[in-house]
Amino acid sequence: MLFSICICLMQYAAAFPVNAKKAPESPADIKAIQDALIAAIPKSQAATVNIDLSEGSGSGVIVSADGLVMTAAHVSSGVGKDVNVVMPDGTKLKAKTLGLDSDTDAALLQITEKLPDGKPFPFVEINKTDDTNLGDWVFSLGHSGGFDKDRGAVSRIGRLVGVANTTIQTDGPLIGGDSGGPLFDMAGRLIGIHSRVGENINGNCHVPIKVFIDQWDRMMKSEFIGEGPFAKKPEKGKGFLGIATRLAEGGIEVTKVGKNSPAEKAGIKEGDLLRTLNGEKLDSREKLQSILAELAAEDKLTFEITRDEKEETLNLKLGER
Amino acid sequence: MKKKKRSTSSSASASLALAIALTVTASAKQSLETNFRTTGAAVTAAFEPQRQVIQASSAVIYDGLKEIAYGTIITADGYIFTKASEVEDIKKIDIRVDKESYKDAKVVMTDPRWDVALLKIDAIGLTPIVFAPDSELARGTWVIVNGVTSRTNRRVMAGIISADAREIPPEGGTVLGVTLKETKKGLSIEEVSKDSGAEKAGMKKGEILITIAGKPVKEIAALGSIIGEMKVGTSVKVTILRDGKELELDVELFARGDLFREPSRNDQMSGDFSNRRSGFPRIIQHDIYAAGSRTMGGPVLDLEGRAVGMNIARANRAETFAIPVEELRELAEGMVKQARK
Repeated sequence: MLFSICICLMQYAAAFPVNAKKAPESPADIKAIQDALIAAIPKSQAATVNIDLSEGSGSGVIVSADGLVMTAAHVSSGVGKDVNVVMPDGTKLKAKTLGLDSDTDAALLQITEKLPDGKPFPFVEINKTDDTNLGDWVFSLGHSGGFDKDRGAVSRIGRLVGVANTTIQTDGPLIGGDSGGPLFDMAGRLIGIHSRVGENINGNCHVPIKVFIDQWDRMMKSEFIGEGPFAKKPEKGKGFLGIATRLAEGGIEVTKVGKNSPAEKAGIKEGDLLRTLNGEKLDSREKLQSILAELAAEDKLTFEITRDEKEETLNLKLGER
Repeated sequence: MKKKKRSTSSSASASLALAIALTVTASAKQSLETNFRTTGAAVTAAFEPQRQVIQASSAVIYDGLKEIAYGTIITADGYIFTKASEVEDIKKIDIRVDKESYKDAKVVMTDPRWDVALLKIDAIGLTPIVFAPDSELARGTWVIVNGVTSRTNRRVMAGIISADAREIPPEGGTVLGVTLKETKKGLSIEEVSKDSGAEKAGMKKGEILITIAGKPVKEIAALGSIIGEMKVGTSVKVTILRDGKELELDVELFARGDLFREPSRNDQMSGDFSNRRSGFPRIIQHDIYAAGSRTMGGPVLDLEGRAVGMNIARANRAETFAIPVEELRELAEGMVKQARK
């Protein structure tokens, strides 16, 4: 037991010797930190993505060649949601949110499109060894304030200043837009995901890798875990479509379409005759309401409609009210 | 200069704010002593050689007892650079270099494009800053600045180059600072914004705007395409109709976002940031948050103690901009030469 601890410490010290000191003691120590950062940042930066949401944006980091992304639950904010991922060069790719843990702020999502050149995604290594310690030197990346191609993801240095069960804290400054972005050790291995900005600039919280590993299988199966503050489960009957209707012959007729509503975005127009919804005949307005009452935001709808005497099928997703 | 006030636009795309942690890890089992944190004394002690440079070759600029900015020593006989917009309205500027205090510094000239002011104090034998050969530094390179100061001692903060060098375009485009109305007589000035270029040039309500940059303007929409592409801090010639006479004026352009500040969520969580933080021809960026807008104007050092730039804007709590040394050196040479004429 003692022996294995010794081995561990030796390996650890070998990984980044300055971490073994309470503070850098010499110009050589300072230089060692700089050398490690300059070596590690380019690869980390290539895998740090912007997550484009309809209301604002966050960050994430690619952790596999096929485009699996780790982010924060309050960024992905739901399971099975369609989002866009923006690569460092500005390439926008479709992605789908997988599972999340609303208690700890961990989440996964999967990029569902290939890179234009068909190459594997750039990705970072996850530090699965759980060998980080209080006082370790770390660096953060993230698309602070949103995506900016000319600037790139912003890198910041800090130390691990707080360690608790499901949170680690660093003193590198973070801001809105960094949420979901990666925290690295000096070897450029992923050790956390940005969660909360501290009230003090130098006390920001991150989800440690350990939490992701513990919930990995459930998140990969797109489970919504927990009832914590970082994400709300969509509630049945709270989905938003955005149309007004009246009963007509052969279905119900759209009399009004809300601006920027999911209905408008899906191309539903005033005067459309909605004949069926998800295979059920719409023979009354109450029928539409009763179907919607069983559905939640992000659920899929398929309408069969008649427009200008032509039959069409429209697919859309319910929005949030 | 500009006070934070009502706004007309906010250009940056909204970003998802991180949840504010009110209780900072109340359940934390381990916490690093302040002394050993990145800005702690035990860590900054390792930057003592650079601190000595800051001690000798930077300045602290005061309005009375209030610190308002830092400065960079350009010449031994007392020419000092600082951030213009932080000092230009101050009636009596006092300066401290090392342990010495100097009263009544003069603002010799300013460069509005870079927001740089050249100050002069009566001094001999100051230690001018040494410029680094260039600012082409990889992300992760250490930079060191004056973080906090006492009357006699400068204390450093260290951070890293954190983004690509680039131009910072004017937030929301550039503006004259007037509200206009299309009338039969032409574009009538309805309102002149406080602290704007229009106000400084003496434009008044009721006057008619006839031409901008030599081009006749009759529609408000035409204005944006003429001046929207111009740079902050440059001047544009306008002709106005005042008391029946045509009059030509030079109007300095400001960034809309800097002039009409509407704090975003990120601004609200940022603490103090610089009033002017956009419209810079080129900047390098680092992550030292120091104590807000009043820490701008000082040198940004590399590990060799040479200036790789000068702090010019605290954009937010995670991003600080500095004028790169190439442009800084050129500004210093040009402005001091002109001042000595």
